[in-house]
Amino acid sequence: MKTALLSLATVVFSLVFWSSWALAQEKPGDAPFAYAAPAFIKELDTRYPAQPPVPPSPPRYGGVLHFPAVVRAFDPMVGYRPELALVWDTLTEWEATWYFPEVQRTPMIRKTLATSWEMVNPSTWIFKLRQGVKFHNRPPVNGREMTAEDVKYSYELLKDKAQYSTRAALVKTITVVDRYTVKFELSMADPKFYLNVVDSLSPVIVPREAVEAPGGLAENPIGTGAFVLKEFSPGEGALLVKNPDYYLKDKDGRPLPYVDAVRLYFTKDAATESALFRSKQLDVMRVSTLDQLYALMRTVPDLMLYRVPSFGWGDYGMSMAIDKAPFKDLRVRQALSMAINRDIVSEVINKGDAALYGPFPWALAGFTKRADYSYANLGPNYQYNPKEAKQLLAAAGYPNGFEMELEWAEFQGWDFNAFVQLIARFYGDIGVRVKLRQLETSTWLSKAAGVQPFNQMLAALSPIGAGPSFMDWVYLRYHGSFPKTMNREGISDPKLDDLLTSWRTDPGDKRPQLQRATWDHLRKNVYRITTIVPPHYRITQSYAYAGANPYCWFPGYCSYEAKTAWLTDKAPGRKFDKFAQ
Amino acid sequence: MRTYVTRRLLQGALVLWLVSLLIFSLVRILPGDAVIMQLDQAAAPTPEVLARARQELGLDRSFLDQYRTWIAGAVRGDLGRSLITRRPVTQELLKRINLTAHLAVMSLTIALLIALPVGVFSAVRQDTTGDYVGRLLAILGLSIPDFWLATVVITFLAIWFRWIPPVGFAPLWVDPARCLSQLTIPAVIIGVRLAAVSMRMTRSSLLEVLRQDYIRTARAKGAREGAVIVRHAVKNACIPVVTIIGQQFSVLLGGTVIVEFIFLQPGVGSLMLDAVLLRDYTLIQGAVLFFATVIVVINLLVDVSYAWFDPRLRYR
Repeated sequence: MKTALLSLATVVFSLVFWSSWALAQEKPGDAPFAYAAPAFIKELDTRYPAQPPVPPSPPRYGGVLHFPAVVRAFDPMVGYRPELALVWDTLTEWEATWYFPEVQRTPMIRKTLATSWEMVNPSTWIFKLRQGVKFHNRPPVNGREMTAEDVKYSYELLKDKAQYSTRAALVKTITVVDRYTVKFELSMADPKFYLNVVDSLSPVIVPREAVEAPGGLAENPIGTGAFVLKEFSPGEGALLVKNPDYYLKDKDGRPLPYVDAVRLYFTKDAATESALFRSKQLDVMRVSTLDQLYALMRTVPDLMLYRVPSFGWGDYGMSMAIDKAPFKDLRVRQALSMAINRDIVSEVINKGDAALYGPFPWALAGFTKRADYSYANLGPNYQYNPKEAKQLLAAAGYPNGFEMELEWAEFQGWDFNAFVQLIARFYGDIGVRVKLRQLETSTWLSKAAGVQPFNQMLAALSPIGAGPSFMDWVYLRYHGSFPKTMNREGISDPKLDDLLTSWRTDPGDKRPQLQRATWDHLRKNVYRITTIVPPHYRITQSYAYAGANPYCWFPGYCSYEAKTAWLTDKAPGRKFDKFAQ
Repeated sequence: MRTYVTRRLLQGALVLWLVSLLIFSLVRILPGDAVIMQLDQAAAPTPEVLARARQELGLDRSFLDQYRTWIAGAVRGDLGRSLITRRPVTQELLKRINLTAHLAVMSLTIALLIALPVGVFSAVRQDTTGDYVGRLLAILGLSIPDFWLATVVITFLAIWFRWIPPVGFAPLWVDPARCLSQLTIPAVIIGVRLAAVSMRMTRSSLLEVLRQDYIRTARAKGAREGAVIVRHAVKNACIPVVTIIGQQFSVLLGGTVIVEFIFLQPGVGSLMLDAVLLRDYTLIQGAVLFFATVIVVINLLVDVSYAWFDPRLRYR
């Protein structure tokens, strides 16, 4: 018995010792990580500028690029995923993605299937198509040329599908003018319609034969994209091989893509992704938090980091039931916003590496320098002022605060648990007693999508746009004429509607002023409480150059990245006959 | 025996029908649906567009109409198409079942390789140091959560050896080396936990048998101790162990979601979880019906196997 107890004690002691040692290996240092974070952020600022160095030239052809993704169906009929752009093209692509405020003034568009466009009038647009573009050489399409008939067919097929309708519902009719020309008639005048056919949620061009073949596009995934889908294994991954007939060339006239194949891994766990990266089974990956980044930089010291300020995607905010008391009172909304110390939110959520976030992306209000992302430009409603918040509540008839429910859910990559605990604490300080209610993630998604109502307050990401368009981020999300699936809070404000309608009908000259005026109106009225938005982190192995375009930041979200990614001869040799290889 | 099996089969059919009705109803109570779950966060469709999408998937039809169509297909072996991937449910299930079956068989084999010798040893050498060590190991196996062990193992394999089990399933008969390198570590992690349960059951069951009169008789007749243990005691002690193993196998076929997630080995467990999260009704229904069938069959086989282990048992 004595021996047994001794054995047990030894085993337990060994386990504790080993765990402590293991943790020390993950996060070394004399001080706890939280205290090291500011220095680490400073180091990142200096060592890794947001715009990374241009990769060496010429690129090397060959190799297989591995990156993580979430694709549940490789079928544009079912749902939209950015990774589908590897197989299917839209009429145009973003030359520079919207993550950089510097490029917001002049959206840069790469001409892919369309080579030019012309506005006949704001309701009629003509697009000229690239000649000689071939679909993938697989039956039943067998590499035939893409023509205007395909564009008409694809738009008519997809424009009313849930995932494309935001953009394409505007299209009333499409007419084939000739083999390489299509005419769009719009249901509402839009002087910036050409921004509606760029990738991300715009209909992709698909061949009729593949759609109508048995199994449809799911079993005949044929497009004009840079890669051909060779194998799709749901829940596991996908293998895409180079399209030898791809039409785009790089800036020096070299054919794209550079890599022979792309292998996607459908990972669901941060620890797994980190392990795959460390074992060189992933070449590029996104990192969710500064903690994870630190741990990875510690164990893979030669990795390359691309740290991109977020345009607005992935913020921490809250929607309120503004049609109900107490939230319909502006003073209450202002008080609830002022009660939050956003610096502490940033510290808790991502160790201080995050930007302030307002009613919509800074760049769309004309703030084009990162130094502009300040409390001064957000105004008093966004500044921590619990004393003023209490006075506002008292003025609104709630001198002793009130009780409210805050709904939230776990969501991969976000720490809403910490966020709502913090908010409850801040609100408690001004007398607002918060009851936290955790939802199952799918229910929460339903509420965040506006399909199901939330009770009082919902912690969620702000509604986002697919591109850097004011239409997506602001017009559709705040105009009172739209249902809650678009305007989640059901905001109905005549003055705001006037501003947005003026913007919609303006040919372009007054739009910047109208966008700033909308910003000013929204930050005063606090229809949605926003706090911070962490940056995007992308890391690559030292042997991988994920794209020549410094503005694209992740292959899954910018197909040009995968087309222009290349691997040095130090990359692991990989086969690409099948996915499991 | 034949009557017994026939009766159990009829009972099984009834259970399966009830399960089909229950799961068909339950999934429709969940908030949200496949149309919502497929939406990109940037999409902002109108309610009319969403209604049309539901109509395309047949979700606007009456409950009875949907059930009738589905169950008629299921009886013919057609479980319908996934609402998300639009592929046949049977096709989606088969690949995952293949992986899960590999993982289950390997885990169970590892568990038995540990549990039976240690359990027998512990029972035969009751209250010795070896027995205490065996029991301690069993308690440890039960105490360490597999998700923790899996996370620690995958992290340290990556840090120390720059290697983790490869991703991308290959069946044993196609690529044995890849299959073993992929599944051995997850199987050991699952197997250790299972071994703990089986080992304790083997030990206690064998201890009870060893005190029976017929064991004393065998020893009195001069049978060698090894023969007494193996031929007389272990075989009789196996009935509860087989019951436990049968239950464990059913659970394993149901999937080991966390280990599957961590090692990116998508078996049936992660398929089910994804299907529930995405409200893929047809996939959930198909998978649950499949599992119910497996459990009914395994239970029947376990009951029938008792007769082999203990010929005194007779079924009516």
